[in-house]
Amino acid sequence: MKKQKLSSLLLVGVMTALILGLSVFCWFKPAGEYSDSERRPLAAFPELSFDTLLSTDFMSKFETYTLDQFPLRDGFRAIKVFTELKIFNKQESNDLYLEDGYIGKIEAPLNEALVSGAADKFAAIVDKYVKDESVKVYLSIVPDKNYFLGEANGYPHLDYGKLEELVVSGVGDRMEYVDIFDLLTIEDYYYTDTHWKQEEIIHVADALLSAMGAGETGEYTGHKIDGPFEGVYYGQLGLPVDTDELTYLTNSVLDGCIVTSYDTGKPQPAPMYDMEAAFGKDPYEIFVCGADALVTIENPSASTDRELVVFRDSFGSSIAPLLCENYAKVTLVDIRYMYSDHVGAFVDFENCDVLFLYSTLVLNNSSMLK
Amino acid sequence: MLFSSIPFIYYFLPAFLIIYYLVPRSLKNTVMLLASLVFYAWGEPKYVVLMAITIAIGYVSGLLIEKFRGKTLGKVFLVASVGIDLALLGYFKYADFFISTVNSVVGSDIPLLRVALPIGISFYTFQILSYSVDVYRGDARAQRNPIDLAAYITSFPQLIAGPIVRYIDIEGQLKERTVTFDMAAEGIRRFVIGLAKKILIANTLGELCEIFRAEDEKTVLFYWLYAIAFSLHIYFDFSGYSDMAIGLGKLMGFDFMENFNYPYISASVTEFWRRWHMSLGSWFRDYLYIPLGGNRVSKGRWFLNILIVWMATGFWHGAAWNFILWGLWFAFFLVMEKLWLGKLLKKTKVLSHVYVLVCVAISFVLFNAVDLKEAVSYVGGMFGIGGMGFVGGNFFYYLKSYALVLVAACFFATPVSKNLMKKFRATDIGAKVLTWAEPVVLCLLVVVMTAFLVDGSFNPFLYFRF
Repeated sequence: MKKQKLSSLLLVGVMTALILGLSVFCWFKPAGEYSDSERRPLAAFPELSFDTLLSTDFMSKFETYTLDQFPLRDGFRAIKVFTELKIFNKQESNDLYLEDGYIGKIEAPLNEALVSGAADKFAAIVDKYVKDESVKVYLSIVPDKNYFLGEANGYPHLDYGKLEELVVSGVGDRMEYVDIFDLLTIEDYYYTDTHWKQEEIIHVADALLSAMGAGETGEYTGHKIDGPFEGVYYGQLGLPVDTDELTYLTNSVLDGCIVTSYDTGKPQPAPMYDMEAAFGKDPYEIFVCGADALVTIENPSASTDRELVVFRDSFGSSIAPLLCENYAKVTLVDIRYMYSDHVGAFVDFENCDVLFLYSTLVLNNSSMLK
Repeated sequence: MLFSSIPFIYYFLPAFLIIYYLVPRSLKNTVMLLASLVFYAWGEPKYVVLMAITIAIGYVSGLLIEKFRGKTLGKVFLVASVGIDLALLGYFKYADFFISTVNSVVGSDIPLLRVALPIGISFYTFQILSYSVDVYRGDARAQRNPIDLAAYITSFPQLIAGPIVRYIDIEGQLKERTVTFDMAAEGIRRFVIGLAKKILIANTLGELCEIFRAEDEKTVLFYWLYAIAFSLHIYFDFSGYSDMAIGLGKLMGFDFMENFNYPYISASVTEFWRRWHMSLGSWFRDYLYIPLGGNRVSKGRWFLNILIVWMATGFWHGAAWNFILWGLWFAFFLVMEKLWLGKLLKKTKVLSHVYVLVCVAISFVLFNAVDLKEAVSYVGGMFGIGGMGFVGGNFFYYLKSYALVLVAACFFATPVSKNLMKKFRATDIGAKVLTWAEPVVLCLLVVVMTAFLVDGSFNPFLYFRF
């Protein structure tokens, strides 16, 4: 009886301390504004009014607020992922998995309608803007990390052959396809980020330049950014894993290039490599203005006046400097952030090559293309 | 508000319990009522009025039924009260089902009402119905204090997903109840275990079910994996909720009836329904099956009674044909067991368990279908009808990914762990170890479950749609 009493007393006491302690922490903890690990703003306390209560808008937003603002949120997220991966032996947590030190993300199944939609969008852009027959259009597809890790390790993955076929047949003879799948390996990608490493894709840039008849890349010097690079998957996974190093390449040609961003609608000079971004929330944005909608790179030392227009996603940012060598101007267009109907107002499609360079991730989720 | 949510665990519940324990005994029901209204309004502020009207009708009719008990007027008030409650339930839950059925049968084009289903209406309506009938039968005295009656009906632990607590079972506790340390400890234990069943097992298996539904390449084995995963998912979801409700009840000094008793160890469908959603089963037995004559009638009438009760059980779960089919599916096996199958099952211990598990797995595939067409197609898929392969696609990947949780779910669906724990606790060393280990393990569980809640948004309770 005495033992039973002690047992009950202990259980009630310990549990009350835990729940009440965390509750008081929840109630009085100052609200945070931004999650570095998830790279997004955190929910703020919702508006409290009769209307928001009646519509339950307050309640649903309050729930999100309590989740976002929970004390030690990142620590709790790590506990969840650890439990799923290491205790439950689940193969992935929130679609992320760890394989050979790489954090991969499951991208499946193949969304044929969206992939075909991307091809249709590219075809429509060519039909609208490319009138000059001397303008040659190229297409290349960047495989995501799951291409290398998925099938080999049994994770669900896209049917990459089908994806390639859908895009290539969708754009028809408007474009020449440059296959770079076989040129890449998982080692060319960051451990903790979605993207490829600039220092490992010089040969890919060479293959593209060669296909476009634009010579080859130059000699570069690599510069490492001080401190670890925690890629986008690092924060999403939430577990402490080995980080990456971020390296960018320079040479005298790139040093002489003039970069201009039109993100605000007006031309703004910008650096080829943004050191502020390198130490910011998303260090991959170091490369050519990151996710800006329209960027030009003028190369005064080019031996030709030929230009290159690249329709690209974020993979294009790091390879763009490597494509500059033999073009007078490279224009980077990101139709995730600007309407393709508006591109003609900013880009001249005469005397140029056009390259559509998209990752399988964007192609399979092409509703983001405008 | 969901029990398995941060707002409930770290905002509502601690605040409520602090106030509840601080106020004098005379105000406890008032605090419980107010808290329950906040709890309900959190998800359905507009329907608080509907619930208040239903309670008011129940309160007034209870007094009138008692006053005129044994007289014709007593019966009139009972019929009126039951009629109004069923009419409200019919309007809010079943109107569109009847309209669409009429439209498809006679080819009419009557527009659907598209009324949002008030949360928990099936549960609180059944509680009020049982209260009115019990008062009419003289099994319970009419409650004169409207706050006490409202506190009983709206009591948040069982308001929106049961168990269906009958007034006669807690009439005394509504007036007089105490919470001892042992009771509070048991309440915490039940709540945490229920929460773990919901968050760690039910939600994880729910993910697997969602993956299956979204999968293009379905194979026979994947259909079976889905059927097993969903059967376990719904058990841990609903029994977890019942555990939490019972635990919360204990923290407030109530003893709610058990709702589940390891149904998957049953050796017949009849036994399964004695162990599954016991509060609903006994409700239908006492307020429908027995008034219809139960088994003390001719064989034909008996089977008809079974058919009616199980059609009603299916229909109670949802206003769609697949729920009716689900109820009839069980009615069929119950009748078969009463005719000849029951005797056969007693002779084959292993096969009888396999039979129950297969019956139940198929039933839950019917249950979880979005419509009758999908129900038939999914059950067909389990037997290879439709030309799909036997195995392939991502089946092995998902089997590997969820194997441990599936095995754990199967293990905890049996009383083995409970019995082992009981035996261990009965020993001297066991009692000593558990005195210290149990709070630590339960606290660890709370931390892990909090982590799951903080990280995820997939958390709907299945039984809210009823």
